[in-house]
Amino acid sequence: MEISPRSLSEIPVGKRVRIHQLESKPEVCNRLRELGFCENAIIRCVINGEGNLICEVCNTRVGLNHSIAQTIKVSIV
Amino acid sequence: MFREKIQSTTRYVAIIGNPNAGKTTLFNALTGMRQKVANYPGVTVEKKEGKVIFNNGDSATLLDLPGTYSLTANSPDEKIATDILFGRTSHTPLPEFVICVVDASNLERNLYLVSQIIDHHTPLIIALNMIDAAEKSGMIVNAQKLSDELGVKVVATIANKGIGIDELKTAMQSHITVSQKARQWSLPNVVKEECRELQTILQDAHHLSEPDSFHEAIQLLTAASALNEHQDRYAPEVLEHVKKDHEHLDILGIDRQSVFIESRYEWIKHVCEISRQMKPQALETTSDKIDKVLTHKIFGFMIFIALMAMMFQAIFSWANAPMEWIGEGFTALGARVTAVMPAGDLRDLIVNGALAGVGAVVTFLPQIFFLFLFLGILEDTGYMARAAFIMDRMMSKVGLHGKSFIPMLSSFACAIPGIMATRTIENRKDRLVTMLVSPLISCSARLPVYALMIAAFIPQKKLLGFFSLPGLTLVSMYLLGLVAALTFAWIFKKTLLKGETPAFIMELPPYKLPSLKSVVMHTWERSYLFLKRAGTFILGVSIVLWFLATYPKIENATPAQQLQQSFAGQAGHLIEPVIKPLGFNWKIGIGLIGSILQREVFVSTMGTIYNIKDAKTGEANLSLRQKMHNDVDPLTGAPTFTILTAICLMVYYVLAMQCMSTVAVVHRETNSWRWPIFQIGYMTALAYGMTFIVYRVGLLLIA
Repeated sequence: MEISPRSLSEIPVGKRVRIHQLESKPEVCNRLRELGFCENAIIRCVINGEGNLICEVCNTRVGLNHSIAQTIKVSIV
Repeated sequence: MFREKIQSTTRYVAIIGNPNAGKTTLFNALTGMRQKVANYPGVTVEKKEGKVIFNNGDSATLLDLPGTYSLTANSPDEKIATDILFGRTSHTPLPEFVICVVDASNLERNLYLVSQIIDHHTPLIIALNMIDAAEKSGMIVNAQKLSDELGVKVVATIANKGIGIDELKTAMQSHITVSQKARQWSLPNVVKEECRELQTILQDAHHLSEPDSFHEAIQLLTAASALNEHQDRYAPEVLEHVKKDHEHLDILGIDRQSVFIESRYEWIKHVCEISRQMKPQALETTSDKIDKVLTHKIFGFMIFIALMAMMFQAIFSWANAPMEWIGEGFTALGARVTAVMPAGDLRDLIVNGALAGVGAVVTFLPQIFFLFLFLGILEDTGYMARAAFIMDRMMSKVGLHGKSFIPMLSSFACAIPGIMATRTIENRKDRLVTMLVSPLISCSARLPVYALMIAAFIPQKKLLGFFSLPGLTLVSMYLLGLVAALTFAWIFKKTLLKGETPAFIMELPPYKLPSLKSVVMHTWERSYLFLKRAGTFILGVSIVLWFLATYPKIENATPAQQLQQSFAGQAGHLIEPVIKPLGFNWKIGIGLIGSILQREVFVSTMGTIYNIKDAKTGEANLSLRQKMHNDVDPLTGAPTFTILTAICLMVYYVLAMQCMSTVAVVHRETNSWRWPIFQIGYMTALAYGMTFIVYRVGLLLIA
């Protein structure tokens, strides 16, 4: 079932993914985790519009920019 | 002293919660109109207090804390919330208990904050809010089960419909206790051990309470290895121990940053499983469908520009009629006073000083009203967060965060709420850059100046059969301010306040229909503040100006000579050499001096000086713009204002920092005089330089 981790920015819209690892600076990782982007959390990409994307996390929508999305390693579930 | 006094007379309660959990709505529902500080469009950044009155006549003071996701302060805004909750501030008493607002449709993330509050042993009630919205998206949360799991009282509410408010009030009157279920989440044993040891050392070295030491221990264990930021705050033995802990945990391969957050979320997951039923739902919500269009790379941007264009167009066309009524009202009032009072200095003071000056500014109330109404609607529908999302692409090109765009957007109304809205920006340097450039955005106080100059001097021509020349001129002024702000943000980020482009992470709340009541309330509060300023500050300045423009009196002088010889005329002449290169004469000089404190004073100054002059030449019935249009230099016959002067004057007002209130707010927010003084310096130099260039180029084009 698990495929090797990819970054969130490459995930097609609508796919549910599990977070593997956050590879940003510690303060950015902490902010992400507080918003629900923890390791093992399941999220879904709602809009991926070349650049910024919107994800569903804990039933809310969070906007992220491309460079952050690249540091979030996920695998499709 | 203050602290004791408050605690002895009335109960003090704080309301806390995630952003967008409905905190402010609940606060309004509990306190009604009994509030002390107005809320600005943008974000809840002001300290806001209100009074809750219970059925038995008792009351409590309720404090609305800024929205926060956790007690690990990231931004200045969140720091305020944490400091008050921990009783670390001298300006605010420690609340007796807190009401934590929890968005029922987003239980996991909201419970994260709840779990931190519980761990801190703070007495707590939970308002489980927006249960209707949660049910719509297929989630039924059982308040009783949640209460059992958390060990605190939970009241289900729908704050915007007033449901559950009475129950919440009843709960507030009962004895609120701390939860017995603190720290039920379990850390890996080794981490738990380290944490416990560190707590003991912290308690001894810094005399911390048990809950405080727990909070500090987590902060220290998750800190970056260098501990640079903590050197001054902690005793050497504490830091020594922390270093050993870090080494130990790092060797074991434990991710110190994520272990605490993950463990908490594990427990939260368990709580949610017990207290919540989920029904399968359609994956795409209405908000998602709207977002597909509104946040689209191309359409989204175009829609945003169209919305802004519509807003400014509407401000001008809708406000026209009420503005004329107000203008006519003041003229009629002046005529009435002239008819009933005997001629003399007092009548002159009232008609030509007070009424002319205040009237000139109050006329712009309808435009201010519409501007705040539009911004309020954008905020209340949830569009403002999308605007930040769309603009992040552009903002990141100049090195700023999309969030910096919200303060800039608020600055179209007024730079003061704009600068206060920068508190949500986590990074200190980015916050400073946003503060430095926000006053370049054209605020509502410049609108009267633009409106007067455009109406008087820009011909009513149509371009391409659709755009009007006055409208385009106005849009250009707004664009000039925006471009200047972005350019200087880029320059500052490259030089003075170097730093990386920050990460954009922002919650986008679901769209909703704006609440008429809260939008109208915001708009009214802002309009009232504007009126109040016109009735106090501008009235005072108008009277002083009337005096300066009337005295010393000269026998048998023509009105023009009289004005030239007056104190104001002399002051205008004094600065004329400095402003001459910009194409401004001494009369404009009087206006510039007057508006150093506030921009719109320029309009009242013109109102006053032209009324004094013309009351004596029988031109009193002409409007201010006609008078300015007809004005010529008695010696040379050259007009005071030309199209070029009008444009130069507008450019100067776009770029110059003429607002003492903004200077005061920047001083307060940066806690220094260095930045506001720097800001005045660079903006004045920019305004002078640009106006000079526009004037010189304009002269060449005309010749």
